[in-house]
Amino acid sequence: MTTSEPAIRVDALSKRYGRTLALDEVGFAVQEREMFALLGPNGAGKTTLLHILCTILRPDSGAAFIGGSDVVREPLAARRRLGIVFQEPSLDDRLTVHENLDLHGLVFGVPRKIRRQRIEEMLDLVELTGWADKPARTLSSGMKRRLEIARALIHDSEIMLLDEPTVGLDAQTRERIWSYLERLRREREITVMVTTHYIEEVEGCDRVCIIDHGKILALDTPEALKREHGRQVLRLVLRNESDRQEILTRFAGRLAGETGAAAEAPILLNSDDAFVDALLAEYGNRLRSMAIDAPSLETVFLSLTGRELRDQAAGARERTLAFGRRGGEHTR
Amino acid sequence: MTIAGTARKPIPRRSPLLVQLGGLYGIWLREVKRAIRDRGQLVGGISRPILWVLILGIGLNPYFRGEVYGEVTFVVPFTYLQFIFPAVVALNIMYTSVQSAVSVIWDREFGFLREVLVSPMSRGTILLGKVLGGATVAVVHGSLVLILARFADVSLTPMEVLKALGLMAMLAFALTSLGVVIANRIKSFAGFGVFSNAVILPLYFTSSSIFPLDPALTGAQTRVVYPEWLVILVKYNPLTYAIDALRGVLINYNQFDPRIGILVMLAAGVVLFAIALYDFRRV
Repeated sequence: MTTSEPAIRVDALSKRYGRTLALDEVGFAVQEREMFALLGPNGAGKTTLLHILCTILRPDSGAAFIGGSDVVREPLAARRRLGIVFQEPSLDDRLTVHENLDLHGLVFGVPRKIRRQRIEEMLDLVELTGWADKPARTLSSGMKRRLEIARALIHDSEIMLLDEPTVGLDAQTRERIWSYLERLRREREITVMVTTHYIEEVEGCDRVCIIDHGKILALDTPEALKREHGRQVLRLVLRNESDRQEILTRFAGRLAGETGAAAEAPILLNSDDAFVDALLAEYGNRLRSMAIDAPSLETVFLSLTGRELRDQAAGARERTLAFGRRGGEHTR
Repeated sequence: MTIAGTARKPIPRRSPLLVQLGGLYGIWLREVKRAIRDRGQLVGGISRPILWVLILGIGLNPYFRGEVYGEVTFVVPFTYLQFIFPAVVALNIMYTSVQSAVSVIWDREFGFLREVLVSPMSRGTILLGKVLGGATVAVVHGSLVLILARFADVSLTPMEVLKALGLMAMLAFALTSLGVVIANRIKSFAGFGVFSNAVILPLYFTSSSIFPLDPALTGAQTRVVYPEWLVILVKYNPLTYAIDALRGVLINYNQFDPRIGILVMLAAGVVLFAIALYDFRRV
């Protein structure tokens, strides 16, 4: 790899599923040793982009390069550089922690001696040494994530791709995962690309790419994003419906995002201190609640997409997985 | 704090063939380990032959004399127990093969398959490891039936056991490939019961496994004894010839040329694996 070649380069990448355009001419570059976050709601195209980067999905048009290797034309060279943590757990439940790592080493062609040594190091890194001989199914979901991070490093990967590595984990575990990633980047000098829809997590990243409906909305450092797109947002809930309608029509120009139909749904208004004062003077005794969001990535996202990040209902795959978790089939 | 061990150290490159072989071993080993740890599968593998050989076999034994409507048309020089013994070996292989193939659906949707699809393993290696693993487990389950040989009055020499194991391996490979071909065509997971009812039992019952087609009769005469549709089903069921070959080795009784069985199994193995691979490449 030449030094000038970025770790990940994506050129005008498009992917269409039937009539939905999952990715629309997406292009960016991630530098070596950068911590790069892809932020967007579910269905924004993050996972599609990641699947193209890890060579299991072909783009309709455009190109993507991992350390200079084209993911379509030289998938093997690209894969050797990549360490991947998928969104869904991809461990083998019936194998032990050690066996899971050993299988990974085998399919990535790591010689036995190095394999043994590397497994030990990585278990130590993610603090799972004491669990080496326990079946993977006995691990908590946070431990499983840590094991998957360890596994992605067994074959000496240079670029880590993590798809929602902290989804469904408690705050403490999420923090721990991020501390591992930070440490890995520092000590192993690897590039980390993470997708997430937890906004607070990307504050520590070098650069954040906000993506929605397959399009890049903004790409910059968290500070620059806040400076440029961050706004103070006012959340209002009113006591009665007529006041609510009045505010909705009177300040239509200030609406910061879609407002739900329910009467309790907060109205989001772009604001500044003077506006807050004026509003309070006039409506102060008719409010049920009011909150002011200081400029943050949260409000950046809101002002760019007009929506807040929200989880969606489970799809067919999640339902089947839940069925298996309940012990639905012995073929699992 | 820096731990020396976490710094990156490049891995020496090995020859691609060696890497593929190592991965093949890893995938095979995973299949075998999973099967060993699946109690349910093991219980089925043991209880099934016991039911078929000891209950059905012994129960029907007195009624098996080669007579139809009171008139002896031909004599099969074996007891019913001996006659169905090789078929039960095949049955146990069928269940286990198809069952491990069905796990392809799980692998594909959740976990393992994604993990190996982003590895340097070729699709062919992944599929071969998976099929060989499933076939190995199936042969082991088939061998469990061989332990019951003495209860079925089947005496086996070590040479016969070896030959039988060879045939069983061919059968297991073909059936596991068949299972993968079917599993690849299934979008959502319906459950193993569907497979068992829609694939395994129909194939099994129309394979002259539990009743013989009279070898002494001509085609026309056979059609008098049995309804024509059944004769046709049995004749065109490839499993008929596999079981016949197995019967030739285990109890020395062939209705057809034993080489047909071997040919059918080899051809089915190659063709079904090729179809499975074709599907798999498009995943």
